[in-house]
Parts: sequence; C-alpha cells; structure tokens
Amino acid sequence: MGDDSRHRLAAAAGPPAPVIALDDLIDELTPVLWQVARAAGLGREDAEDVVQTAWESLLSHLNTIREPGALTAWLVTATRREAWRVAAARRKTQPADHEWLGAIPDPRENSEDRALLAEEQRAVWTALRTLPPRCQELLRIVAFVPRPDYDLVAARLGMARGSVGPTRGRCLDKLRSALGNGSWVEEEGHR
Amino acid sequence: MSNPSADHGAEDPRGEGPFTNGPGDGALFAMVRSLFEAADPVPAGLAERIRFSVALAGLEGEMARLTAADAEASEFDEHADGLALARGAAEESRTITFDSSDLTIMIRIDANADGTARLDGWLAPPRRCQVEIALIGGSLEVGADADGRFAFPSVPRGTVRIVVRPPERGSVTDGRGPTEARSVITPALVL
Repeated sequence: MGDDSRHRLAAAAGPPAPVIALDDLIDELTPVLWQVARAAGLGREDAEDVVQTAWESLLSHLNTIREPGALTAWLVTATRREAWRVAAARRKTQPADHEWLGAIPDPRENSEDRALLAEEQRAVWTALRTLPPRCQELLRIVAFVPRPDYDLVAARLGMARGSVGPTRGRCLDKLRSALGNGSWVEEEGHR
Repeated sequence: MSNPSADHGAEDPRGEGPFTNGPGDGALFAMVRSLFEAADPVPAGLAERIRFSVALAGLEGEMARLTAADAEASEFDEHADGLALARGAAEESRTITFDSSDLTIMIRIDANADGTARLDGWLAPPRRCQVEIALIGGSLEVGADADGRFAFPSVPRGTVRIVVRPPERGSVTDGRGPTEARSVITPALVL
C-alpha cells in the first residue's frame, strides 16, 4: 500500500512556525554556546553535552523569556554555569589545565597544526594569548554573538552594565595593540 | 619590522590620519571568530542533533509507551532521552507496539535491500490522520487511511520518532496551531 502514500521531506518546508523559529535559533546560537563551553575549559565531548543541556533547559523557561536578546543571554548564562559545574567535577578527577587557550592547538608547536591555521589566525592566536584571561573569554564569546545581543551577553559575562562598552572596548584595544606588536600586522601595514 | 617606534602615545583611538591604527572592532571580532572556527570548530551535526531533541521535547503531545516488542527488538538503550530501541538483529522484521491513553500504534520494521527501512503501521482505533517520522535532519509524512493503516516505504536508518497527529477535526481549535492539539509521540527508536 505504500505506493500511494505521499512522501514529503519536510526539512525545508518545515513543521509549524514555533518549531521553525527555534530551529533557526539553534543554528544561529549553538556556535556561541560552543565557545562558551570551550572557553570554560571543557573537552569537546563535555562541551557538546553542556550545550545540549542548555538548550533543553531553555524549553522549560521559554515562556519567561520575552525578547531574542534576552534569550541569547539566558542561554549563554545557562551554558556557562553548567560548563563550570562540569569543569569543576572534572578537576576533581583530572589534573588541572585551567588555561583555556591551551585547549586549542598551539600553531607554533608542529607543522600539522600550523597548516590548519592561516597566517592571520596564527597572529590573532598569539596576540590573544597575551591578554588577561577575562578579555580572552569575553572576546572569544562575543565574537560569536549576534551583534544586537552584544550588550546583554557581555553584561551577563559578569560585568556591570555601565561598564560593558568600555570593557569590551578595552579588550578590543588590547587585542589591537597586541596585534600591532606582532610582525604580521607590521608587514601588512607597510603594503 | 618590529620597530619600537610603535608609539602607544600616538594610538589615537579616533585615528585622524588617512591610516587607521589597525583593524576596527568589527574586523577584530571577525578575526577572532575566524581563528576559533578554524582551531576549535563546532562538531559537525551538533546543531542538528540539538534541533532534533529540542523539537520533539517542545512538541505538545502525549508520549506513547512501549508496550510490546518482539525479542530481537527488546534491547533498550538509555542514551537518548527516555527510551530508545536498540537496533535489532540486522535483517529481521521487528514488530513494536506503543500505547497512549486513547491510541495504540503498532509498527513493523523491515529492511529494504538498499539499506533503508520499510515501516508499516496500524492505528487502533483506526483514525484518518497525518503520521510523521521525525528523523535527524528532517521528517517524512504520510497519511493514515480510514483503516488506520500507514506506510513509509523507505526510511533512512538512524534514530527516529513517530508522531501521530490528531485527526483533522482536532486541529480547528481557535487561535491555536495544530501542535496544540494532542499529538502522540513514540519514544526514540533506532531503525
């Protein structure tokens, strides 16, 4: 009987509206939450679990969240909290490796990793590493946040609302000048 | 090129001259993003997996209970939320029954030669309605006939859930989308 049944691949056409909106958000915000979890020092598997948990816990809070911006901030906070919880539990059983930038390959270490990163990316990595950890985390996360949500998210990252702009600005300035001290930017500047 | 004349004093943040003092904020964020996208990419399929679990968790509906499964199909896997059916002996046909408060769903799963699965189902009491298979990355939908029979001739292997939509009449409720009427959702099963 299957021959007369109509098949429809609904990935594009999609289910009812509320689900579609949530799907879009998941696509858009999962990269941000990934950075949040990884910046907390989690391994990749733990980070996946934490991000998924954050989304699932969002469901029971959906009706308390009014605007998309607040939703991003809520998710960032939930992910960060859960990531810290998991990271703390891990630290009890594993030797501590707190410096999160250690979690990404050091492009200077071997040629294989070096090949993965473009010249500019290596310069950014090197410059970022010279920044205070808080700036590293802030820049790493906010870089992935949709622009309209910057302020709320930065605020949730632990800074008083009034100082959000300047702090983000200061971190950016530090990165800019660290980049300026590197040879890559020097060379670029002379072209 | 690492000239010490990199005078911090001259770093006028407003960059009056024809040359700016390095990349702007947006460009910096783009560089940071590019670094982490390359060095620490979001795992492939993570957003998709989250969409799958969230979409189903958010669905208004009654979770059907597994009431009977033939021997080959009765290994359970607690990994997915709730109940997942482990893959049965490779090429055998499996019969599984789910119960909700007012509906029984019986399905038979057969292997197709091309590696996909064929799924035949019966609803009791019979109802004419839409039946959906939710898979990671999309869904398939067919109609159940007046006898409550439906069939999916070719379903990709993987984790799926079956969603039985309410009969057409049930979705007329004013101002509410069709998801507001009670769908019946089965636990995840692995085809």
